Amino acid sequence: MSDAVLDKQVKKQKPRKSRVDPEIGVSLSWKTLKIQKQLIFMSVPIAIYLIIFNYIPIWGWLMAFQNYRPARSFGQQEWVGLQQFKFLFADETFLMVLRNTVAMSFINLILGTTTAIGLALLLNEIKVKFFKRIVQSISYLPHFLSWVIAAGIVATSLSIDDGIVNIVLMKLHFIKEPIMWLSEGKYFWGIVGASNVWKEVGWGTIIYLAAITSIDPSLYEAASIDGAKRFQKMRYVTLPGIKATFVILLIMNIGHILDAGFELQYLLGNGLTVDWSQTIDIFVLKYGISMGNYSLATAAGIFKTIVSVVLVFIANYIAKRLGEERLI
Amino acid sequence: MHKTVKRSARALAVGVFTLALALSGCSSNNSNGNSANGTTASPAANGDDKAPVTFSVFMSGPGQQPTADNKILKLMKEETGVSFNMEFLVGDLQQKLGVMIASEDYPDIMSGDDKLINAKAYIPLEDLIEQYAPNLKKHYAAVWNQIKDENDGHIYVLPSYGVYQGTITEPTYQGPGFWLQKAVLEEMGYPTPKTLDEYFDIIAKYKEKHPDMIGFESLNFDWRVFPLQNAPEHLAGHPNDGAVIVDNNIAQIFADKDISKTYYKKLNEINAQGLMDKEAFVQNYDQYLAKVASGKVIGMFDQHWNFQDGETSLISQGKIENTYIGFPLLYDGAEEWYRDRGAVGTNRGFGISINAKDPVRIIKFWDQMITEDWQKTIQWGIKGEDYEVNADGSFYRTPEQRANADQTSWQVANKITTMHGYMPKIQGTYSDGNAGDPGTQPQEFFDSLKPYDQKILKAYNKKSWSEFFKEPKENNIYFPAYSIVLKDGSAAQLAQSKLNDLQVKFLPKSIMASPAEFEDVWTDYVNQIHKLDIKAYEDRINEGIQQRIEQWSVK
Repeated sequence: MSDAVLDKQVKKQKPRKSRVDPEIGVSLSWKTLKIQKQLIFMSVPIAIYLIIFNYIPIWGWLMAFQNYRPARSFGQQEWVGLQQFKFLFADETFLMVLRNTVAMSFINLILGTTTAIGLALLLNEIKVKFFKRIVQSISYLPHFLSWVIAAGIVATSLSIDDGIVNIVLMKLHFIKEPIMWLSEGKYFWGIVGASNVWKEVGWGTIIYLAAITSIDPSLYEAASIDGAKRFQKMRYVTLPGIKATFVILLIMNIGHILDAGFELQYLLGNGLTVDWSQTIDIFVLKYGISMGNYSLATAAGIFKTIVSVVLVFIANYIAKRLGEERLI
Repeated sequence: MHKTVKRSARALAVGVFTLALALSGCSSNNSNGNSANGTTASPAANGDDKAPVTFSVFMSGPGQQPTADNKILKLMKEETGVSFNMEFLVGDLQQKLGVMIASEDYPDIMSGDDKLINAKAYIPLEDLIEQYAPNLKKHYAAVWNQIKDENDGHIYVLPSYGVYQGTITEPTYQGPGFWLQKAVLEEMGYPTPKTLDEYFDIIAKYKEKHPDMIGFESLNFDWRVFPLQNAPEHLAGHPNDGAVIVDNNIAQIFADKDISKTYYKKLNEINAQGLMDKEAFVQNYDQYLAKVASGKVIGMFDQHWNFQDGETSLISQGKIENTYIGFPLLYDGAEEWYRDRGAVGTNRGFGISINAKDPVRIIKFWDQMITEDWQKTIQWGIKGEDYEVNADGSFYRTPEQRANADQTSWQVANKITTMHGYMPKIQGTYSDGNAGDPGTQPQEFFDSLKPYDQKILKAYNKKSWSEFFKEPKENNIYFPAYSIVLKDGSAAQLAQSKLNDLQVKFLPKSIMASPAEFEDVWTDYVNQIHKLDIKAYEDRINEGIQQRIEQWSVK
């Protein structure tokens, strides 16, 4: 059985999105509203929530074009045009934190997705329910730790005296003397990536496992009859089956590419690694909020939002061109 | 079943009602606060009575919540009707302040902060003091001009430290120094190091005998960067002016100067010898304190108050021999100026926020608290309970009372240590000749020392820890330069912040580098500093110095 045929079959199993015919959609709108009134009623609180917390605060964006000072009324604020943005993009530090943010995000995105899918595939092959559950529970427990604790654990395991990483590496004769992992900038991105995998891999797996369970078992049977082995079933049934989930999650995650995180970098970073560890969020805290420069913080925030929106649309467009499931 | 439904419905109704009450209570408080805002407060009709009132207080440092039936707080409530709802700092101060300012959500009383002053979060106090607080007026009379805000001439914060009366006694030393463990000094035959070479020689010799000890410790974390950054100015004979040294009233930064290079080159050498703690620059404050408290650190440069929590822990573990004595190391030809006469802590203390319910009541409360009777109650305690008076009228404590005072659990029930730290207070001596608190009463201080400490002091032929440092010279009128306010968002503030970033990054780098690379790292560092707008920063400090000379000199 060819790859493409299977792929199509998988697709057929999935509920299609119902699309309202544009021609009758308008004329039926009142009728549709009436039919869907429960649904609409239910979505009202969410809409209100979004308006209050995500739309009304947008007027605060005006701060980015001012030299905002607290305790002055709106009319007394000094308008400075694009000065805050110019400062941002002329600042070496900002360009550096931008690089760090994108790099760490990218590492997190790729490592996070591949390890989560990998673990999901492996877990799916385990037939002993009890063992499967134990592994799953253990792997997603770290997700519930706060980053403060997680960072403490990471720092302790990387320590030069009695840190487990150095001990293991020394016992295996990979290194001769302990390495100070946290004082070398070049290790920092790797440490962040690995910590994220450790903490989040189990959690990320859940959604893929759920997607896998929705795959029609008859496909596996058909594949078996056609002589597919375990790895072939993984490759030709399971993976295509979760492709849609993967694409949707990817699109959503791309929107967060400028959120490389704050806590971990803030807690693990230090003077020696600052060139690699600072992210946009730390920059905003340090040069914006801590120095009372709310305008600069807002400008950086706007920049992040715009980049995120643009990236989501691009990813969505590419998904559409490739004929994949889309978000919007 | 039916009943429970009904009951829960009623409970819900009650809940909603109380919530509504609470909300309306909040909003009416706010409107009160707003009406007090700006104007010098309408003389409250209930100002004199002792109606119970609770003020919310924010303190910009961590602290321990007093117990609900705390002795002093109970007494205050009985006598004045005032009680407090205290909030201590948890987490990062700047972040907390940023959020407070952005939301304009201020408690009634806040500890002083430049940022809050910039945000106009306090009400001016001078008229309130003139009108309602004769005792405070008297207390601050000598420094009245100094405690005014440099920009608009109002008093926003009542300084808590540095206002003295009578004679100044200071047996403990809280300032900067190069510290060595008492056990180390004892074993090495009570040496008195005077130079960096002598100091590190002691450390090297001791570490040779005890290889599991940590040689020299430092800290490069958050705002606590002075253990790493401030040593050069003291070595060169300057007092603690922060990031600048001042000669003939002209300030300049010293981070890029030779006095710094000499010091960090020395640290680079001792790092190569394995004397520097390898983790010094990646650790946070808690880890630093934990190391001090483990008793494994031979020595460090720091200000005493910064590692005192570690020492407190050592004492409670009974490891008093692992606590420290400071030494004023100097470069050749420099004249010592480690110890300074505590300047008035401008902008450090309590202020009243623009949201305060009843500013008059608060100022009257503080006015009452600054009287000698209350000060004795707060600082010494209750006569016969917490201290005794001997025949010639001087205060002392029994060994049992001393033991009590050392215990945290006793302190939270019987003292208001943290809040007192921010309140206006009498330092020096009372009119009857007793010192402000037990810690500054010379005889009481010596008697309260453990035998081990007395032995050490005798070996050095001294009576107190501060005697290891020279008597402070008269302060320059502008001192300390670090308290000159930089405007939020100004070029000066940006330059200072970036300079600090460079120090945080490059100083550890230069110390950890191999000795051959030191020159390169240092050149790179100095070049980066010179790219900054340092002039804006120095100009602002110099402007502040001139302002202070002009406004404060008249006496």
